[in-house]
Amino acid sequence: MITWKRINLKNYTFPLVDEYKKEYINLEEGLPPGARLDKTCNAINSIKINWSSIREDKGLGKDFISYVNESYNSGISLYLEKNTVVDKPIMADFIMEKENPAVVDKNIIVAQPGSQAVIVFQYSTDGEVEAFHNGFTEIYAKENSSLTIIKIQRMNSLSHNFDTNVAYVKGGGRVNWITVELGSQISGTNYTTYLDEESSQGYLSSIYMGDGERKMDMSYSMIHRGRRSISHIEARGALMDNSRKVFRGNLDFRRGAKHAKGSEEEYVLLLDPTVKADSIPGLLCEEDDVEGEHAASAGQINENQLFYLMSRGLREKEAEKLIIEGSLMPIVDKIPIESLRQIINGEIRRRFADA
Amino acid sequence: MRNKLLSIRNLKVSVDEQEILKGLDLEIDKGEIHVIMGPNGGGKSTLAYTLMGHPEYSITNGTVEFEGEVINDMKADERARKGIFLSFQYPEEIPGVTVEDFLRTAKTSVTGRPQGIMAFRRLLKEKMDLLEIKDEYASRYLNVGFSGGEKKKNEILQMSILEPKLAILDETDSGLDVDAIKIVAEGVKRIKDETRSILVITHYNKLLDFLEPDYVHILIDGKIVKTGGIELAKEIDEEGYENIRLSYAHA
Repeated sequence: MITWKRINLKNYTFPLVDEYKKEYINLEEGLPPGARLDKTCNAINSIKINWSSIREDKGLGKDFISYVNESYNSGISLYLEKNTVVDKPIMADFIMEKENPAVVDKNIIVAQPGSQAVIVFQYSTDGEVEAFHNGFTEIYAKENSSLTIIKIQRMNSLSHNFDTNVAYVKGGGRVNWITVELGSQISGTNYTTYLDEESSQGYLSSIYMGDGERKMDMSYSMIHRGRRSISHIEARGALMDNSRKVFRGNLDFRRGAKHAKGSEEEYVLLLDPTVKADSIPGLLCEEDDVEGEHAASAGQINENQLFYLMSRGLREKEAEKLIIEGSLMPIVDKIPIESLRQIINGEIRRRFADA
Repeated sequence: MRNKLLSIRNLKVSVDEQEILKGLDLEIDKGEIHVIMGPNGGGKSTLAYTLMGHPEYSITNGTVEFEGEVINDMKADERARKGIFLSFQYPEEIPGVTVEDFLRTAKTSVTGRPQGIMAFRRLLKEKMDLLEIKDEYASRYLNVGFSGGEKKKNEILQMSILEPKLAILDETDSGLDVDAIKIVAEGVKRIKDETRSILVITHYNKLLDFLEPDYVHILIDGKIVKTGGIELAKEIDEEGYENIRLSYAHA
């Protein structure tokens, strides 16, 4: 049983999980010869991962991760050979509904030196289902590889969402996370990026929206071990109704990370006095010669901006909506796929319309 | 036939409990251009914000009538839909919202009719060309990274798209070079006809070289102390406000 105070989880037990029978990847899509995409269930032996290489207690914690390792019912494994460039995004689309209410996905992505890909994971629900998602995604980005991982979560407000993401980045490699958290009743997510070698890079862009009774815990860590490694965390969110969130952004400069640079910024709009927002930035240093900075701000809608838009005939609600959407847009704009940008904008609008 | 567009009677306005307008009277008929000049701190911008309905400017006395209807308690968006427009002295930056999307939304609100994307794009391009604004600005975020002059031109663009009955230009000419002032003045003249009126707030004469105002009013210490024609603006240009201020103080 799990207790997690920040998001009101008391004596929580994971549900029993059945098979997830829906199709979630389109394997027909033409991948270049150097790319191998499988469902994790089929592929567990096709990729040689040294499981003992997992070096630290990480993510949402042992309970969550060992549960995934023992009970996963879905997930993808992607192996990119040296210098393989996949130019079309790879999409994994998990839709939870009455017949398939739980997704426990285990994802492994190995990018050999010089390879590149964009991988999109979507988690959504269809109908009034009490859905459950607990996932574990591991990324191995080798020398000079470049991966963009986009995760879009818009499950209904009866659902629970847990997600652990870990990346290990080698010299000159680059992992770019984009996370979009728009749904579920309780959501705990963790992204940890190990910048292991010289000039490795980790970026994380996050948008989130809290409405109704949603409780969110977001934890993003950049762990610098390599010289001249670079990281940036940028989060933007909006909270309304009785929603609450805890945001933790950690920049951790370990011994050896000379001349490393890390930065984080968080900007959240608090739209109702009943919301609760905690931001806990962390900066840890074992090296002197590093640069780390963080900025966080929380505020209401700027009255002068609101007046400006209203002076052009927009009703107050409409003007507020535009300002909030606008504040999330710089991150939405980073998503390189038009259809996804539309899905996200549509979801943000829908949640406002319901408010 | 009613010709009256705006009628302000004995208007007193406070900001943070401090009285700025102290009994202001002003009548604007349809089709007229009025100019308000005055030294800094006299209440010019307060008048502009009050007419647009800024929540921080509270009317403590008097009435503002627009087309015969008292609008004292109307919110800014209702006033905009009635046909009042304010060109801001300091336009706000709105990240994440493009000029085109914003103006299409605004046009829909003001007219009450949805705007077709292609038809609106043509209209926008036509108006932008007239104001010599580059096409790329349509897809830029509203005022973000615009220079002072670009922001002012963007205000006039918004005005020409929304076609208000009363356009209030608050120091629209400040920060513009002569060429830009000319383009702006032409934009203003294009929307002015026998039913639309303009209220120009300025402390320069530059814009007045291109517009032909019907009335010039001098606003000092919260009241209009003198009204005349274009000659009054020229007088001020040469002598400043001191003489008017003195004669007003003696009166």
